[in-house]
Amino acid sequence: MSLSTTLYNTFFRRNSIFVGSIFAGAFVFGIGFDSGVTAFYDRWNKGKQWKDIRHKYVEAAEEE
Amino acid sequence: MALNGLKKAVTLTPSVCTLPSGVPAAPLINLAVRAPADPHAHGHSGPRADVAPRWSGGVSRTSSGLVSKSYITLPSTTPFTARFMHTSVAVKSAPEVPDFSHYRANDNDSNRALSYFMVGSLGLISASVAKSTVTEFLKTMSASADVLALAKVEIDLSSIPEGKNVVIKWRGKPVFIRHRTQAEIDEARETKWQSLRDPESDEQRVKKPEWLIMLGVCTHLGCVPIGESGDYGGWFCPCHGSHYDISGRARKGPAPLNLEIPAYDFNDAEGKVIIG
Amino acid sequence: MLSRQLSPGALRKAASLPAFGSKNALRSPRALAVRNASTASSSTAFESFLNSRITLVSVSLFTAGSVAWYTHLYGSLPFLAQVHASHASDEGLHPPQYPWSHKGVLDTFDHASIRRGYQVYREVCAACHSLDRIAWRNLVGVSHTVDEVKAMAEEVEYQDGPDDAGEMFMRPGKLADYMPPPYANEEAARAGNMGALPPDLSLIVKARHGGADYIFALLTGYVDAPAGVEIREGMNYNPFFPGGAIGMARVLFDGLVEYEDGTPATTSQMAKDVVTFLNWASEPEHDERKKNGIKAVILFSALTLISLYVKRFKWTPIKNRKILYDPPADKTH
Repeated sequence: MSLSTTLYNTFFRRNSIFVGSIFAGAFVFGIGFDSGVTAFYDRWNKGKQWKDIRHKYVEAAEEE
Repeated sequence: MALNGLKKAVTLTPSVCTLPSGVPAAPLINLAVRAPADPHAHGHSGPRADVAPRWSGGVSRTSSGLVSKSYITLPSTTPFTARFMHTSVAVKSAPEVPDFSHYRANDNDSNRALSYFMVGSLGLISASVAKSTVTEFLKTMSASADVLALAKVEIDLSSIPEGKNVVIKWRGKPVFIRHRTQAEIDEARETKWQSLRDPESDEQRVKKPEWLIMLGVCTHLGCVPIGESGDYGGWFCPCHGSHYDISGRARKGPAPLNLEIPAYDFNDAEGKVIIG
Repeated sequence: MLSRQLSPGALRKAASLPAFGSKNALRSPRALAVRNASTASSSTAFESFLNSRITLVSVSLFTAGSVAWYTHLYGSLPFLAQVHASHASDEGLHPPQYPWSHKGVLDTFDHASIRRGYQVYREVCAACHSLDRIAWRNLVGVSHTVDEVKAMAEEVEYQDGPDDAGEMFMRPGKLADYMPPPYANEEAARAGNMGALPPDLSLIVKARHGGADYIFALLTGYVDAPAGVEIREGMNYNPFFPGGAIGMARVLFDGLVEYEDGTPATTSQMAKDVVTFLNWASEPEHDERKKNGIKAVILFSALTLISLYVKRFKWTPIKNRKILYDPPADKTH
């Protein structure tokens, strides 16, 4: 059985499963997309954001 | 051969052929011909059959004088394939023009799966975008950052000596903070709270036994009770005479409920309490 | 191809049908000219209207009247270049484009620079300029930790109250308080600066043409006035400032502040840091906004492409169908 047939039989054959997987997928996609974009954004702006320089000042405060 | 000749003799000449462009053509049909007279026309007869119709020619005046023209139907000069009587489809003079094979799916299964997948992806991303839109919109209804910043109050507990009341303002309301002595704690704990009007144990009302923190608003009609007074050593409301004990519970008078406890947290490291 | 196969008689008939309705076989040469019958009469009327002398005269009168009216209203002829008393230098020099670390569509602020910029603001700018729209809490998680900001806020006294006795009292600052202004009110600010009001800096980057580039160019652009330019006493020459004469003197000099992270405090370094800080003050949502922008662009382009595909998919049967006319059988015979 080819991949497309498997895919069809697993997800698309029954509408309830189709719609259900769309909503479940939307949930997972939302989280994954957010973290993916954030990871890219943090990589792109490495060393510039507050979370990258925060440790300098927090440790300094704790040492006092 | 003889059979073929016979066939030709009894077969009508074809009236339709297909051009290489795919357009069907009927070269021998004169589209302008009309019936000479329609017997069902009820008096409105067609063109007169005894007069030569205009399309067949006639006399016209041009710059060079009168010109007389007459037209006859000419046979086609292009070759066409003969269609016999039993042939139902016009013979194609060129293979598959126009050619749709490029548009046809090679594999129906994968084509179907792809179509469903695309529709599903559209739904998935739309649902995700709609969810974000709705949540972002609902977020605009929650309190803004400057309101939230004012909604918390920090109090340094080390400045409050034992056995003293402090009244502070929090969101426009007074908040009582009492540093209770051990005797007061014992008194609050030993009270038979099950029989009170609003039964609550002292353990439920405080997070640390020495610190009693509650809203200074009488639960009867909203006056501010006076500290260290009343019959039970707690608070006394001057408006209608409600008495609260050292745990802020309503003991006497019209007050229906105990004094309300706001949400608060202790910051042990700095000896502070954060109300809100 | 088609025309060759059709009989000439049929063709001639087809060509003659729409154009001529007349019955006579012999027509005058004038009637033979091919015309679109439906617009023939109206186009003639319109043409005669266009060609008429009255139209020409009235349009000329209208034009001359409009010009006269404009000249009466505004005192000068329209569409003509005028000599202005002002000079191009009145608009100020255009600032150069600087390579800000937050310039790109994907770039956040450099928060270390914001922190240094706050130091410059606090030690230099805050002597004259307020920063009304920024509260202490805004610095938390941007350039300082909570404890640092609390300590900074507590150094400032704020008026609060009324207390139980109805008196206003002073208390140390809290996170929710806004940055203290250098002057109590606008009049005090003008009085302290020879009549010039130091603008509030909360939105200054958004409020000036050229934005961050302009502020940087202004801060670093103080030069001696060129020959022929008169600067009044108490004013300073800055080519980037519209008009050239600015009340604010040059304030940033090398080594004016001492950065805690050891960055050399040159004039341009301080200007860059303080402009980054002011840019953040104008757009505190900047970093989050750009991140949301990435998400929106990706999601909406994906949605567009997929919906194009789905549209084609849904329209395929509609565009490929054939419509057959099956005439009802005539049952009268």
